[in-house]
Amino acid sequence: MSAPSEGGAATGAAPDDGATVWHYDGVSALRRRARLLVEGDALVLVEDGVAGARVPIADLVPGHADAGAASFGLKGRPGWRIDFAGPVPPALRARLPGAVRYGGWVDRLGLWRAATAFAAVAAVVVVIVLRTPAMVARLVPASVERQLGETMVGDFGRRGCTDAAGRAALATLAHRIDPDAPRLEVDVVKLPMVNAVTLPGGRIVVFDGLIQAARSPDEVAGVVAHEIGHVRHRDVMEGLLRQFGLSVLLGGMEGHVGGYTNTILATAYSHDAEAKADGYAIQLLRDAKVSPLPTATFFDRLGRGGPGKAERMLAYLATHPVSADRARRFRQSALAGGYAPALAPAQWQALRGICRGDTDRIDWRF
Amino acid sequence: MTDETRAEPRAFRFRGTWQDYAPIAFTNLLLTIVTLGIYSFWGRARTRRYLWSRTIFIDDRLEWTGTGLELFVGYILAFLFFVLPFGIINLVLQGVLMRGHQGAAALLVGVLYLIALFLIGVARFRALRYRLSRTLWHGIRGGSDRQGVAYGWSWFWRSLVATLTAYLMMPWSMARLWNERWNTMSFGSLHFRSDARWQPVFGRFMLFYLAPVVLFFAILAMIAIGIGAGMMAGIKPGAPPPAGAIVTFALLGIAFYLVFFGVLGVIAAAFFSAFFREAVGATSLGDLEFGFEARTMDWVKLFVGNYALVIFTFGVGYIFVPYRNWAFFIRHLAAYGSVAIDTLTQSQTRAPGQGEGLLDAFDVGAF
Ligand SMILES: [Zn+2]
Repeated sequence: MSAPSEGGAATGAAPDDGATVWHYDGVSALRRRARLLVEGDALVLVEDGVAGARVPIADLVPGHADAGAASFGLKGRPGWRIDFAGPVPPALRARLPGAVRYGGWVDRLGLWRAATAFAAVAAVVVVIVLRTPAMVARLVPASVERQLGETMVGDFGRRGCTDAAGRAALATLAHRIDPDAPRLEVDVVKLPMVNAVTLPGGRIVVFDGLIQAARSPDEVAGVVAHEIGHVRHRDVMEGLLRQFGLSVLLGGMEGHVGGYTNTILATAYSHDAEAKADGYAIQLLRDAKVSPLPTATFFDRLGRGGPGKAERMLAYLATHPVSADRARRFRQSALAGGYAPALAPAQWQALRGICRGDTDRIDWRF
Repeated sequence: MTDETRAEPRAFRFRGTWQDYAPIAFTNLLLTIVTLGIYSFWGRARTRRYLWSRTIFIDDRLEWTGTGLELFVGYILAFLFFVLPFGIINLVLQGVLMRGHQGAAALLVGVLYLIALFLIGVARFRALRYRLSRTLWHGIRGGSDRQGVAYGWSWFWRSLVATLTAYLMMPWSMARLWNERWNTMSFGSLHFRSDARWQPVFGRFMLFYLAPVVLFFAILAMIAIGIGAGMMAGIKPGAPPPAGAIVTFALLGIAFYLVFFGVLGVIAAAFFSAFFREAVGATSLGDLEFGFEARTMDWVKLFVGNYALVIFTFGVGYIFVPYRNWAFFIRHLAAYGSVAIDTLTQSQTRAPGQGEGLLDAFDVGAF
């Protein structure tokens, strides 16, 4: 039992300036029925005619509105409670702090205004997270990106196909498309997927499946030029930064909601990167006097899906969404003439045989 | 409610309704979306506040005193100390694999798995401690004097033993861990006691253990019969089968799939219902004995209901799943005996500062 206070004068109070409450003192589990009276800026709990200690109203901690019944705690006294059995008398309610419902900010602003404000902030944050990687990626030194690439993918692709004539043809092709890039690394790996990727660190890896699926060196040239676009725009670094930013930002969302949103935002943006890489590729091809028409035809073929090779074709579609628009863009960039093949017929044959002597060098053992 | 019509009133009663909870669920969803998920911690606290406040034990309701901020801080800490390092290690692992050092990669994965196993044990302990410490009844809260490290080790080696014995010792591991967890918990001045045994649930476990094998061979036999029938119907190997046969086979495949997981699900529910009856029934607090009365079909109804709720509302119904789970839990929870109110005093355990962050990180349940 709580000790009766010394100055307990509050007996015989009028019934309308108080209320009947249940009281727990937070020390024992005893449930007490008490009469609650207001004395100035404090409350007094009267039990069996004996008044307890004065409780400053300012120290009351309001309970939650969802709890169903009005309830108050006391600052610094865990477990101390007064619970109103019925509705709080209006005169008393005006003196007591209001209940909390959603949490601080939302309660202060009101649900709808808070939701609107949060949505606006969220939109700004998403835009920042989507846009900053592009700027930050350009600030990351090339050496750091190369180091990151080494950590993530090791020398994958560097142990590519080794046929000497084929490698010479590949070097010729790369130099033909982009003569100003002495450090450009392009490799072919013996994997059957129709695909080409740019790895972190700016290394381009073309899969042998793509070379076999191509009908002319100009088609390979178009794909490699597109990947060079990714290298120049630091798209891989940007993508890594964006993925990281989004996963931190959306990490708080419950499992799959965050996952979906992340994927949607990431792919929505990579279309933009694809379009820019295409623009760069078109410029490279024009400078190199390689016709863009075969590349357009190649995209058309991919879009239709090769006969019986659907799943291999899909590899390129998954990483580089092919649309009719992309093919059209390459086609429209074509000039009247003045084009020369990207490689001479003999070199093209050598490139097609670049993996001739190689077995599957990458062991996908796990 | 049926509770009121019984001659003997139940110690635990749940007075919530889904109509009452719906405004909370939908505003939580709205605020979670517009804050890119950050509000979900406050939303979860709000949901618990509602569920606890509608739960009556003997003569008064429970109160949830945990806050969204605690859960948020717990999540941030778990992210900094566990998710981020694991993510970086994962990045390194990718590089190691790409370089072709499969041995090193396997070793790294193995070590990571063992560390994670230990941490999950600690997380489960701390989640239960956190929930008890934020549960108030008659102004009294629960808690534990332990930090969960000892439990983490126990969880670690018992889980390993269970795995190494081809999961045959799983019931033993589960029962012992339940006891170990609850025997260090208290509510106010009273200590929980639990002596759950694995022997009573082992039969049901063997049913669960052997069912996939039996089902697998049964389905194999059915397929053999199906192929036999197909041959008789004149399908030649090599020639494309008629469209009707393909559709029939596809439908049969789906049916087999549903039967396989349906039967397995029911058997799993049979095991879990037996385990919970044993474990909760072996737990006591002072003079209070607990019991859990859900039968296998109750569990099946809960899970089927939850799945249907999520699927037929395209996922939105997910916001009602915590409500359904809690209502199920409380409506089947029983208590016998008495609480000596005048000797029950406030818990002297240290209340943990933050929420279930680590548990969130590993995405496992608390009880
Ligand atoms: Zn691309």
